[in-house]
Amino acid sequence: MNVIEVQNLRKEFKSYSSRSGLSGAFRDLFTRNYKTLAAVDDISLNIKQGEMVGYIGENGAGKSTTIKMLTGILTPTSGSIVVNGMNPHKQREEFVRTIGVVFGQRSQLWWDIAVQESFRLLKKVYRVSDEDYNRHMGHVIETLEIGPLLDKPVRKLSLGQRMRCELAAALIHNPPLLFLDEPTIGLDVLVKLKIRKFLKEINEQYKTTILLTTHDLTDIEALCERVVLLDEGKIIYDGKLNQLQSQAVEGKQVEFEFLTEIAKNNLVFLPNVQWEQKDATTWLAHVNGDERLVSQLISLVVQKNPIKNVRINEVSTEEIVRKIYEEGMALA
Amino acid sequence: MFYVSMFFQYASQYLKTRLTYRIDTVIEILSDLLFQAVNLIFILIVFDHTASLGGWNREEIIFIYGFFLVPYALFSSFFNIWDFNERYIVRGEMDRVLTRPVHSLFQIIMERMELESLFGVITGLVIMGYAATELGLTFAWYDVLIFISMVLGGAFIYAGIFISIATIGFWSDSRTDIMPMMYNIGNYGRYPVNIYHKVIRFVLTWILPFAFVGVYPAAYFLNREEWYGYAFLTPVMGIVFFSISYLLWNAGVKRYRGAGN
Repeated sequence: MNVIEVQNLRKEFKSYSSRSGLSGAFRDLFTRNYKTLAAVDDISLNIKQGEMVGYIGENGAGKSTTIKMLTGILTPTSGSIVVNGMNPHKQREEFVRTIGVVFGQRSQLWWDIAVQESFRLLKKVYRVSDEDYNRHMGHVIETLEIGPLLDKPVRKLSLGQRMRCELAAALIHNPPLLFLDEPTIGLDVLVKLKIRKFLKEINEQYKTTILLTTHDLTDIEALCERVVLLDEGKIIYDGKLNQLQSQAVEGKQVEFEFLTEIAKNNLVFLPNVQWEQKDATTWLAHVNGDERLVSQLISLVVQKNPIKNVRINEVSTEEIVRKIYEEGMALA
Repeated sequence: MFYVSMFFQYASQYLKTRLTYRIDTVIEILSDLLFQAVNLIFILIVFDHTASLGGWNREEIIFIYGFFLVPYALFSSFFNIWDFNERYIVRGEMDRVLTRPVHSLFQIIMERMELESLFGVITGLVIMGYAATELGLTFAWYDVLIFISMVLGGAFIYAGIFISIATIGFWSDSRTDIMPMMYNIGNYGRYPVNIYHKVIRFVLTWILPFAFVGVYPAAYFLNREEWYGYAFLTPVMGIVFFSISYLLWNAGVKRYRGAGN
């Protein structure tokens, strides 16, 4: 069953560019140069129940705009959106009852009042019964370890504490679908791990579907099997994360640190291997091939020259994504 | 029903916050009182120089001012969303509001309420009471109901105008200085409209109908029969202007562009 069905979704923003100089400003008064920018350009996307999907892209790629359309905040310019069987913008008030939203850079909680008061108010807003609240939130509060924070006003919490409370607040009505926009921005590793663990848990326990945008690709690696990669408002990759890795990376890097200085002609030359000198005793081999070639290379080099250290560098997702943005990517 | 209970939820939350800032609250009430006293003194000074203003004497003008304070207090307690653009559009708080299952305007009214302004109701009633005794006015039992409907009408007119202006923020996020101007124009409704030029009178009656928040409804209680027609229009104008602002709001929400991160 698809929780999110998006077809040919498009969102345009009209902006005007001002002319230069005083006379230009005067002309702007009467006629303006409007430019239409498509922040989201013809996106189609289906997400099944229980999936955890990472939605990634550079700043301005259209991630937030998509999320805002999926949550009913923005009206699409064209295209159709069906989320939880509803049209988010048209049936907004009924629809938002079935989703949870966390914006990492904006607080859902009331600044001046204690966290539990915010929870109480949200409980009323979402019309959650006492039994449901106690059963569900008791667990959430325990897992996120926010029990001791409940009687403190939000303004006195640290970012990590606040974020855990935000997450709990988004789950008060136990929504089947959760949107997280940069939920780990600015958090330290420990809090990140806690949040990831928690997300995995609710995903397994309640089959909660999670759509996550983040700049921190380690979040995605830890949580999402599927990634959707966005560039200039278009989806450029939609599929498994590990497939993205194997498709995007040609080969590996092997770093040899030798005991003595080595001249280039003392190295081993194989087809599909390129050498690059890092410093006097260190050479980098770019291997364009599979593991067998790598091991063959290492054994040959070791036989010929005494070495101090060998390191095989895996390319991280971060680098892959950077590479994709720099070079573009033709994907089947 | 849900909205009534939500109102009490928000109100109790508001009071809790207010109790943590007790001194602020007292200062706000005192500064409101001071402001009202200055307005009253202004009326007294004007009448040191003249015995009547367009055929209205000093106590009548004071009565109108007292009446005006009551709908105005309701307006400032609940509909005073002058910082809507800055707070909700520019800072993007509107995103949060739109992800909750309650009408967005209702949520914002609840979040921006300032219950201490309700103190103005008391001030207004005291001032009206004083003027009424001076004038020897008598009231029938049904005047209470008429009073309530006219006060609500006036508060809704104010609310309608200010909400409509706030919705400009959905179309343009540049800062406008219309809000302070409106507060000034609103004050004209406290004086008899027949002292103004007829263009201004037309504006205050039909375009920015602030006259319905002061002089027109007060004329009913002052037994000025020539103004009765206008006086009884007050609740109608309230409903019309509030409905217009509500429709503008809903249209505006569709246009909402969101703030960048």
